[in-house]
Amino acid sequence: MAVKNNKIKCKYLLKGVPASPGIAISKVFKLKGESISIDPTIVDDSSVDTEVEKFVKAVEKSKSELKSLQSKVVRKVGLENAKIFDVHQLLLEDSVIIEETIHSIKKENKSAEFAFFHIMQKYENTLNGSSTNHFQNRSSDLRDVKRRVIRHIQGDRTDQLNQLSGSAVIVANDLTPSDAVMLERRKVLGFATDLGGRTSHAAIMARSMEVPSVVGLRRIFKLVEEGDRIVIDGNEGKVLIQPDEKTINHYRKLQEKYYDTNRKLDEIRDLKCLTIDGKEIELSANLEFSDEAESVKSHGAKGVGLYRTDYIYLKKKELPTEEEQFQEYRKIVKKISPDPVIIRTMDLGGDKLPNSFLIPPQENPFLGWRAIRISLDRKDIFETQLRAILRASGAGNVKILFPMISGLDEVHECKKALENAKSELQKEGIKYDPDIEIGVIIEVPSAALLADKIAKEVDFLSIGTNDLVQYLLAVDRGNERIAYLYQHLHPAILRMIKQIIMAGHQEGVWVGMCGEMASDPLSTLILVGMDLDEFSVSPIAVPEIKKIIRSTEYREAARIAKKVLQFEKPSEVERFMTKVVRKKFKNLIF
Amino acid sequence: MVQKVVQVKNKLGIHARPALLFVNTAAKFEADVYLGRDNHEVNGKSIMGVMMLAAEMGSKLTITVKGQDEKEAIKALIQLIDNKFNEE
Repeated sequence: MAVKNNKIKCKYLLKGVPASPGIAISKVFKLKGESISIDPTIVDDSSVDTEVEKFVKAVEKSKSELKSLQSKVVRKVGLENAKIFDVHQLLLEDSVIIEETIHSIKKENKSAEFAFFHIMQKYENTLNGSSTNHFQNRSSDLRDVKRRVIRHIQGDRTDQLNQLSGSAVIVANDLTPSDAVMLERRKVLGFATDLGGRTSHAAIMARSMEVPSVVGLRRIFKLVEEGDRIVIDGNEGKVLIQPDEKTINHYRKLQEKYYDTNRKLDEIRDLKCLTIDGKEIELSANLEFSDEAESVKSHGAKGVGLYRTDYIYLKKKELPTEEEQFQEYRKIVKKISPDPVIIRTMDLGGDKLPNSFLIPPQENPFLGWRAIRISLDRKDIFETQLRAILRASGAGNVKILFPMISGLDEVHECKKALENAKSELQKEGIKYDPDIEIGVIIEVPSAALLADKIAKEVDFLSIGTNDLVQYLLAVDRGNERIAYLYQHLHPAILRMIKQIIMAGHQEGVWVGMCGEMASDPLSTLILVGMDLDEFSVSPIAVPEIKKIIRSTEYREAARIAKKVLQFEKPSEVERFMTKVVRKKFKNLIF
Repeated sequence: MVQKVVQVKNKLGIHARPALLFVNTAAKFEADVYLGRDNHEVNGKSIMGVMMLAAEMGSKLTITVKGQDEKEAIKALIQLIDNKFNEE
């Protein structure tokens, strides 16, 4: 089953669960696990006491081993992760297991290892039979305890991991927590296992030790041979067995890029987003799922500039309840607090869920019944969402953003609906932020032209470039034949952005940008020079954009902005900016 | 004897670490502690027993406590479950 495509050529390509990010390229070290040979001998009556004693001693040895292992682990993976060894120790003090084993030795004349093995197996099977993933993962704790005690009963099993001389990728059927701890970061470049999920202990420890890992590969242990060349892609959850030279080179590049980005990120994460001459710019991140909140923080973003709530509506075939929404919003708000979370109300329609239980097929979905137009038409849906957002505002710093506004009537209607929701909550005695700030996404050209009027009504504006470019240039961004016309560095777009920012400032409100353009390094200096107050970009882009801003003088950016506004064609802007950015940041940008 | 039905509230359910906390808390008291789910009851001081319940989020458990300090014991155990084992 050799695999061959443009970039990848190898004997086997396996897909598993990405457990810990990063890329490892090395040779395979097979860690044999469950193959403990169990001696099923029936012991004669005179040896029963010896077997019991053997068992009790093995338990004691295991406990003291766990104790010393635990202190080692605390240093390596932290107190919380080390708690698992408390569980193991307690399991070995559990009268249930001890008594059952002793009973089985005495009454059934089983050998110590056989009795213990089968009793532990029984409990493992129970947990494995449970329907929830978490519990299935946790059966590895029992397996770990079982193996440890049996090793001590047998008394002759040297730790395979100690035999590992050079560095390698560990391939195993499963890794127990204590295996994971034995892995020396120096020697173990990654691991790949047949069993396990993202929440298994081994996966958690791999992440805290920063060892690239893929788990849940099902049959890797069978497929690989000791010493095989192997690539572990912990970012994508892929494992390549016996890749060719070209493939390895491809992955070396990916590896370099990954570590390079990480290094940059570390250097800059906690630094402020300031220009050289001290102008502070808000740099926040776009977010879609609650579990991305961690990534927003780890990339050093200051809050969430655009929280897309649409997926909540896409999850099920029915509308989400207020409580569901509230729980989801609050989770994010609490994680990001005290930094702000700007929640955009539902933006379905267009290319998101064009035909569904909620939205019927339309001739021109992008110009049709979408986003705020649905919300204002279906006040029930809108007010449910506003109530959920308001309730979440009681838990931290929340602002509301209305999408697809094309004129002032819609702004007024949104505000009215919000006031209704507020007074309802007030009556019900439910906590919310009464001074919650509101903003409008400027993405329809009519709203851009009326930005000064809209600014009078709200606390901030956020420029949504993805739709603004498409509407202003009349380019369907999904149509490949005209995709070349979709250019955010178009002089008309730049003029419009400048105008929106000036209109906002004239009315004393701040202006941000939440579209793709904000993440484009070629645009950063222009936008800084045009006095944009806030950039909201994908978490991954945060370090890069921050680095560019920190290496720039505001005065210089202003000169660049002025200059590009003189250009006539997108190609001129692009050529000029490429030159500027290359010259200034030749060491910074890939 | 005191008895109370509680619902597991933490997302991951009573996996290894919460089981540890439960058993350690139960062990602080003289009283006997039992934990039941559906028709199955286990010794609340046995970690294996508690883990075997595989109580996921939302499952209903019956705590039964018998002994001198049963009131304090059940209060502490309910609090532990209600506080989601300090997990979230």
